[in-house]
Amino acid sequence: MKRKSFSLKTVFPAFFPLFFFCIYFYPVQAAFADKYGGGLVLATTSDPKSFNEITAKETSTSLVTDLIFEGLTTANAFTAKIEPNLAKSWDISEDGLTWTFHLREDVRWNDGKPFTADDVVFTFNDLIYNPAIPSSARDIFTIDDKTFTVEKVDSYTVRFVLPVKFAPFLRGMGQAILPKHKLEKAVAQGRFNFTWGIDTDPGEIVGTGPFNLARYDPGQRLVFERNPYYWKKSVEGDSLPYLEKIIYLIVPSTDVGLLKFMEGTLDGYALRGMDYPMIKPLEKKGNFTVYDLGPDMGSQFLFFNQNPGKNPHSGEYFVAPYKLAWFMNLAFRKAVAHAIDKQKIIEIVNNKLGYPQSSALGPAAGFFYNPDVAEYDYDLDKAGTILKEAGFGDRDGDGVIEGPQGHRVEFSLYTNAGSTDRVDIAAIIRQDLERLGMKVNFRALEFNTLVSQLTSSFQWEAVILGLTGGIEPHFGKNVWMSSGQLHMWYPMQEKPATDWEKRVDEIFTQGVQELDENKRKVLYDEYQRIVAEELPVIYTVLSARLYAVRDKFGNLKPANYGGVFHNPEELYIKEEPR
Amino acid sequence: MWRYAFKRLLVAIPMLLGIALLTFVLMRVSPGNYLDTVRMDPQFSKETIARYEQLYQLDKPLFYQYVQWVRNLLHLELGYSFYYNVPVDKIIGERIWNTFVLALAAFLVTWCVAIPLGIWAALNRNRFVDRVIQFFSYIALSLPSFFLGMILLFWASQTGTLPLGGMHGPDYESLGWLGRRTDLLKHLAIPTVALSIGSIAALQRIMRGNMLEVLEQKYILTARAKGLSERRVVYHHALRNAINPLITLLGYEFSSLLSGAALIEIICSWPGLGSLMLTAVRSKDVYLVMASMMMGGILFIIGNLLADIALARADPRIRYD
Amino acid sequence: MTKSAEHFSEFQIALRGFTRNRLAVSCAYALLTLYAGALFAGFFAPYSFQNEDRSYSYSPPTPVKIFDNGGLVVPYVTGTQLTFNEYNARIYVGDPEQKYPVRFFVPGDEYRLLGIFPCRYHLFGVAAPGRIYLLGADARGRDVFSRLLYGAQVSLSIGLIGVLISFAIGLLVGGISGYYGGRIDNFLMRLCEMVMMVPGFYLLLALRAAVPDNFNSLQVYFAIIIILSFIGWAGLARIIRGMCLSLREREYVLAAKGLGLSDVKIIVRHILPHTLSYSIFAVMLSIPGYILGESGLSLIGLGIQDPYASWGNMLSDAMSIVRIKFAPWILWPAFCIFLTVVCFNVIGDALRDCLDPMLKSEGENT
Repeated sequence: MKRKSFSLKTVFPAFFPLFFFCIYFYPVQAAFADKYGGGLVLATTSDPKSFNEITAKETSTSLVTDLIFEGLTTANAFTAKIEPNLAKSWDISEDGLTWTFHLREDVRWNDGKPFTADDVVFTFNDLIYNPAIPSSARDIFTIDDKTFTVEKVDSYTVRFVLPVKFAPFLRGMGQAILPKHKLEKAVAQGRFNFTWGIDTDPGEIVGTGPFNLARYDPGQRLVFERNPYYWKKSVEGDSLPYLEKIIYLIVPSTDVGLLKFMEGTLDGYALRGMDYPMIKPLEKKGNFTVYDLGPDMGSQFLFFNQNPGKNPHSGEYFVAPYKLAWFMNLAFRKAVAHAIDKQKIIEIVNNKLGYPQSSALGPAAGFFYNPDVAEYDYDLDKAGTILKEAGFGDRDGDGVIEGPQGHRVEFSLYTNAGSTDRVDIAAIIRQDLERLGMKVNFRALEFNTLVSQLTSSFQWEAVILGLTGGIEPHFGKNVWMSSGQLHMWYPMQEKPATDWEKRVDEIFTQGVQELDENKRKVLYDEYQRIVAEELPVIYTVLSARLYAVRDKFGNLKPANYGGVFHNPEELYIKEEPR
Repeated sequence: MWRYAFKRLLVAIPMLLGIALLTFVLMRVSPGNYLDTVRMDPQFSKETIARYEQLYQLDKPLFYQYVQWVRNLLHLELGYSFYYNVPVDKIIGERIWNTFVLALAAFLVTWCVAIPLGIWAALNRNRFVDRVIQFFSYIALSLPSFFLGMILLFWASQTGTLPLGGMHGPDYESLGWLGRRTDLLKHLAIPTVALSIGSIAALQRIMRGNMLEVLEQKYILTARAKGLSERRVVYHHALRNAINPLITLLGYEFSSLLSGAALIEIICSWPGLGSLMLTAVRSKDVYLVMASMMMGGILFIIGNLLADIALARADPRIRYD
Repeated sequence: MTKSAEHFSEFQIALRGFTRNRLAVSCAYALLTLYAGALFAGFFAPYSFQNEDRSYSYSPPTPVKIFDNGGLVVPYVTGTQLTFNEYNARIYVGDPEQKYPVRFFVPGDEYRLLGIFPCRYHLFGVAAPGRIYLLGADARGRDVFSRLLYGAQVSLSIGLIGVLISFAIGLLVGGISGYYGGRIDNFLMRLCEMVMMVPGFYLLLALRAAVPDNFNSLQVYFAIIIILSFIGWAGLARIIRGMCLSLREREYVLAAKGLGLSDVKIIVRHILPHTLSYSIFAVMLSIPGYILGESGLSLIGLGIQDPYASWGNMLSDAMSIVRIKFAPWILWPAFCIFLTVVCFNVIGDALRDCLDPMLKSEGENT
């Protein structure tokens, strides 16, 4: 009797319709009508976290918001000077506390509605200063717990009254302005924190900027299209922007991004030092150019824990007192500074495309950069002498030096595991310190863990880390003021622990209120000298900013401050050469 | 049979909850939370950070957080993603689908290639064809799949034949209906091959082994003695019996493909659950991680269930109480 | 007594069959060589795994010359100079004026032979400041060949120890489950399924995330082994349970029961020894999974950390098209992993082919 058996032949074919069903009926959003061409394709390594400019500020989000929103002022990409943007001019009162901005009258939101003073007042009073909304902008616009008064004078005039003089005010006015008519309901209902997240319909994200978000495919890409209501016109009077679209592909792997650039999918790519030998020779053939925009903004440094406090729960010191004595000893830190082989680090980590760093503000900061600070050359003998004079030496012949109190000089060095650059830098420094006779236990920690140790548990000894930076020194106040939360070597001091920290506090308090740029420069120059002299942090190297961009774009103006794509609204596709 | 299926489903629920609890405990044990990345930005002050903590209830005790989550689950709410600031189900839906498509494609390719290969190898035992297949199988089994993925990407970049990762090309919107499907298939090619090669090798060996075993059975001898054509003997009688044991593997196959897909997704920039989960684990986005693991568990249970049902129908020798 | 005779004869049969398979035997020799290399890594390697020299970053393999001015000489290497060309690519030029003969049994970096005896002598080496990079150098000028040997210690041992732990747990669970059957079997198999239910990589990630970060490298090493075992035991348990299920119906087991032997004694004396022999191939075939699991973990930075070498973390440094293009020798760990996995697979298969007929001849399949 034939057994009616269930055979794979019957089941298997069922999979095919299933498979094709999945593919062919894949949920597809409405097709995008404009034709391709006249576009710019770039890459980013991760999805944006949100489209809400107020609550989210990391780079993956600002990529999006920088294209869609604008502020009253903007910084010139070449000179870093402040220029009018949504505000066409402003008046300052005699005492420097009242600023009256005259807004442009031809600006419209990308849904066609007019931009008025109401939107500016709304952005500040209802969003930034709203206690129910967590925003970092509030910290910038609050001095000594006092906020600014923002009031509408007429439809196109806004007045700001500051509690004290505030030098970075104009630069801070680059703050994006958000539309009142789209968001006031959400704020009234207390829903603002959850508005404009990544699940929002792109058409809802309304800004005054040159492009709007057309489409977001999670994990794949962001598509921006030109804003037909954009106010800016070119020198010749053309309505900007020229480009029809800008597409950001989400490519988590930097290597794959490089390959995509080489095969022509991407129009621009940020290069690492080690990519340079592979990409540069292909310039002519690939019809692209590699731009070197000088050193990175920001900083990268090694620092020691100088926190004398105790853990409130266990009663133990954060750092063993004898170790604390070393870290607080300036001679010790100076010796370590002489043990940093910056040239070799640049060679190995950045493939020679990097710059040594000595001062708190790097060359990229422009006006406030002070190159005249103490520098520490790589000299192990000198370092050894300094240590010896400070009472360190190998007295028992075991190859490891002891401190003045007789303890072996041994400590742990941490950095974040995600960055191969930093791990390599740490390894190089470690080897040199061991040549000096110290024993260094290196561990790469996960970023979250590292931050938690630096800001909550304070139980660490030496760390290598980096910070982003900008042109305005005051925006780093949380790091440099002794009460700051990011004053990492000894955070949140009740009163300054040393004389020099006291002086730096004074500098920051004075500097923010001094409106004369040159007088400010004198102050901040002093602070950079102090930092280089007292070495709370020991600077290492800065990478070079390298971009490879296809030659097909007109009006491409690579600038030291702005990067290569600071002016997307002016870019256009040139005719094919030859 | 339906009662059996229902019973298995009932057993599955406590298992899923157990997995959720395990994940929650694991995530909590390691220090730090996603706010730590915010802490390092010099523009944020303490008060702002405290406000964020309050918003996400991170200052409440652990047990309270977990209970809250289970309560949400009963309302079919998967919780909130701290990192993306949107409800979990908004992010996870499309990603699950993408991973599912990739795993399904790899699954189909595996079975379509491995079965015939296994049969072919068995029929030509120890001859040249068999040796070549076995040789390549060893190679395929031994290469780490992520490595193979990189090699394929590099090859694609050199030859320009296939796109380098991602799921849709830059001009996806402007393509017609058929163009879009073709585009998807082109993007699917490299990740699918990288993912399925190891499974093909493994499955092929099992198929070959089963086939060889069945071909030595007495009833095959009988069939041949009866005068049936070799073709009928092999494809009608032997094949059916050889394949049966493989059905039990259906469920595990799918689960292992789901798991293997994670690394491949990262290398090939395929926007799926695996790469989402990696980001979530690194940024301690607790609810997202838990939901992802539960999705994995659900998919596996369904796969397993189907496999068990298929097996019960296929082989009357197996009885369940 | 009866048990030991049966036990040995199965083993001997299997061994005989195995030795006849030449491919399997050569794989076994290859593995033995690798393990020997790992065991005496300190001696065979000219440098310690952390001996770095920054002037030799990504140095290509040093050519060992045996001719000088047309005549045969003692093998020597030359000094090298590093320059960067116009594209910032590294060019190493040999300097024929500086010659360093290769010597044997030279003193060098200190290490511990077999982990216990401090020792300073290495099989071969050159005098400083010459460097001999048999297989080239990595980013910091560390010798790839030396690190491969030290890496073998980690990667190969993780496979062995991990599988032993899994196997022990699997034996316990599978044995009990298979022997008692019924409710216990049901429960234990559901437990297995629950562990196998979550796609392995996700579980791996989550478990690794739970390991405290103040663990030192040794503790992380053991944590990784335990995590991998935690994922792997379920599969082995199922196989063993299947075997036990069939074995418990055998005559000698029934006889032992009849004679009044306790359950535990039966499991230990009669059933487990058989499963041991039968499941050796399953063990062999699952070792590659641990080695590949470790390399997967190291790829995303969650495995063995720098400066310790493991094939996995050496491979993760090499997962960069740019680096491969300019320094292809950093791919050696991939080859080593590949070779090891292939050998284990071949051996496992050969063992299974030998043991299979015995399995079948005694009645049911698993």
